[in-house]
Amino acid sequence: MSLYSPRLTRLIDALRRLPGVGPKSAQRMAFHLLDRDRDAARLLATALDDALSGIARCPDCRMFKEDDECRYCGPARRQSGQLCVVEGPADLVAIEQGTPFRGRYFVLMGRLSPLDGMGPDELGLPRLAETLGEGDVQELIIATNPTVEGEATAYYLAEMAKSRGIRVTRIAHGVPMGGELEYVDGGTLSHALSGRQPV
Amino acid sequence: MRERVTLEPAYLLNRRPYQDSSLLLEAYTRQYGRVGLVARGARGPKSKLRGVLQPFTPLLLGWAGGGDLGTLQGAEAVGPPLPLSGERVFFGWYLNELLIRLVARADPHPPLFEAYALALQQLPDDAELAQDALRIFEKTLLAELGYGLLLPDGIDPQAHYRYDGERGARPVPGPEPGSYAGASLAALRDEHFANASERGDARRLLRDAIAPLLGGRSLETPRLLREMRSKADKIPDS
Repeated sequence: MSLYSPRLTRLIDALRRLPGVGPKSAQRMAFHLLDRDRDAARLLATALDDALSGIARCPDCRMFKEDDECRYCGPARRQSGQLCVVEGPADLVAIEQGTPFRGRYFVLMGRLSPLDGMGPDELGLPRLAETLGEGDVQELIIATNPTVEGEATAYYLAEMAKSRGIRVTRIAHGVPMGGELEYVDGGTLSHALSGRQPV
Repeated sequence: MRERVTLEPAYLLNRRPYQDSSLLLEAYTRQYGRVGLVARGARGPKSKLRGVLQPFTPLLLGWAGGGDLGTLQGAEAVGPPLPLSGERVFFGWYLNELLIRLVARADPHPPLFEAYALALQQLPDDAELAQDALRIFEKTLLAELGYGLLLPDGIDPQAHYRYDGERGARPVPGPEPGSYAGASLAALRDEHFANASERGDARRLLRDAIAPLLGGRSLETPRLLREMRSKADKIPDS
């Protein structure tokens, strides 16, 4: 027999689907919403419902969008001629928040990894090929993670762009701001050294 | 039985996210064969292991636990990651996929570990050496699994042969579809390839020898590489 009544069980099971939420936290959240803050619970319910019915994926950049016009694909961004490829939506937000870059994006939603069944089709690369073929991208900026999978993905993306005569760049990897060389791992340091720039 | 292993030479074959901040690792070790390990907290923003736990990097791993999944307790890199780039990454993935698909967990083969390490070192070299490294690894893998190739000393380089896994090389009167040149079989036996046709034959023979061991499910890495090559060729046309 279940510990909770049927509706409460369903709520707790639903909360447990969130990342990082185990049975104890789910129980705490459920009790909090039901007992202390029923308004917040209602707000959460409508917000979720709204988000689910109103947010889709932009077919061009594969980021979430809710208006007819995707906020990352507008004409001003198109004019910049730059397109930045990232692995996930969180990477896009990180670049948007932390850098002055205001070009277009393409979100892969993963990286090439044959052992996990991720190939070019899963990453939407045919769609990216169409975008590159439209002719207003002058520079493809590759911002995949500096992992083996990210490297292989970058290589493939670079081949795609080069064959169309588009300039390809890759974000630099190296020592973090405020970091100390002493504590940086050898791989990062050797990348940083090989990617050094004239001052 | 719980055991503790320290500083064991290993390479990572694959890793995937596990729970919130952990990684599930598939490692190939010298003395313990293929092992599954959980690296707790390795995906967290402060983890020092993130840069270390990469495939194609010679590692020393320590873990605790018997059963199916051990818990990683320490990891350090003993050398820089191999400079694999572009298609060579796929070559490395191919070796990893072979080990994952064909070698059972906790089935140690120290010579296979050495062969893997050697093959990885040769992958960044020129295209022919990289191909040869794959062939020699495949041959060692078959031998270690008990399906070693039967290539006797007396192969006549001028003659033609058929090859099958049970009976080995048998002479045929002349070249026929599916037959091999004696020179190719001798080259594969001696692990020394002189030209493209010997390399092509070795590749065909080893592919046919490995296929029955895969249980009807083909390997993903070669399929993906073929797909990417065919798309890359098509790109200039579109």
